[in-house]
Amino acid sequence: MKADQVLIEHHDVLRGLLKQLEATTDDQGKKRQKLLDSLVSELGVHVRIEDELFYPAVEKVTPLLAISQAEHRAIDDQLAVVLRTDTGGPDFATEVKMLAATLDHHAGEEERVMFPQSHALGEAALESLGTQMEARKKQLERSRFTQLLRSAKREVLRRV
Amino acid sequence: MAFAFGLAGARARPLQDLLHGVWLGHPLHPVITDIPVGAWTAALMLDTVDMVAPRPAGFRQAAQLSVGLGVVGGIGGALTGVTDWQHTHDDARRAGMLHGVLNTVALSLYGFSWRDRHRGRHGRARVASTLGYGLTIASSYVGGRLVFRHRVGVDHVDGRLTPRDFVPVLLDSKLPEDSPTLVDCSGVPVVLIRHEGRISALGGHCPHLGAPMVEGWLYRGQFVCPWHGSRFDLQTGAATSGPATSPLSCFQTRLREEQIEIRRIPPAQLATTGQTATTEGAQGHES
Repeated sequence: MKADQVLIEHHDVLRGLLKQLEATTDDQGKKRQKLLDSLVSELGVHVRIEDELFYPAVEKVTPLLAISQAEHRAIDDQLAVVLRTDTGGPDFATEVKMLAATLDHHAGEEERVMFPQSHALGEAALESLGTQMEARKKQLERSRFTQLLRSAKREVLRRV
Repeated sequence: MAFAFGLAGARARPLQDLLHGVWLGHPLHPVITDIPVGAWTAALMLDTVDMVAPRPAGFRQAAQLSVGLGVVGGIGGALTGVTDWQHTHDDARRAGMLHGVLNTVALSLYGFSWRDRHRGRHGRARVASTLGYGLTIASSYVGGRLVFRHRVGVDHVDGRLTPRDFVPVLLDSKLPEDSPTLVDCSGVPVVLIRHEGRISALGGHCPHLGAPMVEGWLYRGQFVCPWHGSRFDLQTGAATSGPATSPLSCFQTRLREEQIEIRRIPPAQLATTGQTATTEGAQGHES
């Protein structure tokens, strides 16, 4: 699969998780927690494959890198806010909506502007980059160490 | 770095806003950096006078106090600087890194210098602080370049005071609730937002780094910048959360014959005339 396709598919996974999260109600604390946990993992993997593989590869063909990285940071910050928010409280829906807006904007901008720019690399290069990214994604999903690190970070942010 | 601020929990954002200088209306960093530069200049003068014509111990004590004051100020400068730096891009980010590294070395030298003075080793202390002073001056030059060339901390909004008189920009029926809409007002980009029955008109570019605000969204009744998440008051355009510290440009709005009309509010008047039209036909402020 081509690199931008890999990312678009994963954007859809992330958007799907946020849709599900937005559809929950205040009495579904457990479900919210579970969805949040998957969101933290998926986002972690997504940011890693973009930062490690995709962004360095497209550095020469898009001026958007700095902005995209800033948006990753904004998503990270808001995810921390959501993690700290009581899953049964009145603020949860508001904060999730903010997270969805931040992520939607970032993913949309990449899909509208950066990915078409990345086509300048040529089909073959995008194809091999995509294969690399899929392999790294699988590896990150399986790695016990990465999982542990992520849950440690998640729990710390949840508790402070 | 995100994680470091994340550890401040719910206080992370207020803490960063404090360090950015949102409460001050412009960056706090350049205010604080005057302290080390001034104090260390004073220390250098006191050291020089004392070396040329040795004085009673009072001069040495004064020099030590100045070095110490500079170190405290330098720590303040580092905290505010790194907070601003995390939201810079590309060349400015690299220049900022150089500025930070030079200053950290200078601050360490002054730290050693203070300790040596405290222990009475004034000769070595003076060498350390003189080296530190050279680095501080070089680094201050880079800091100046960050502002004057890379325009970090500079207000990026469009300063033109147009339109001076009300001009129609959009049919009232074409503006959906809570959905920022871009209009072009003779070359000036303006974002219209209908929220809870009121129409706000704010500048099209974020004062922080010029992000296109039309791509922003609403959060708790505030307008959020799509790049770094600065937040702005819908009525006045004032920055309520950083990294932006100065306001978005703000326009008065009113309804005339189904049309939304806007006119620029001069920044100096903002404090008293944050007027917006309501959809109930109550018209905005007229001159």
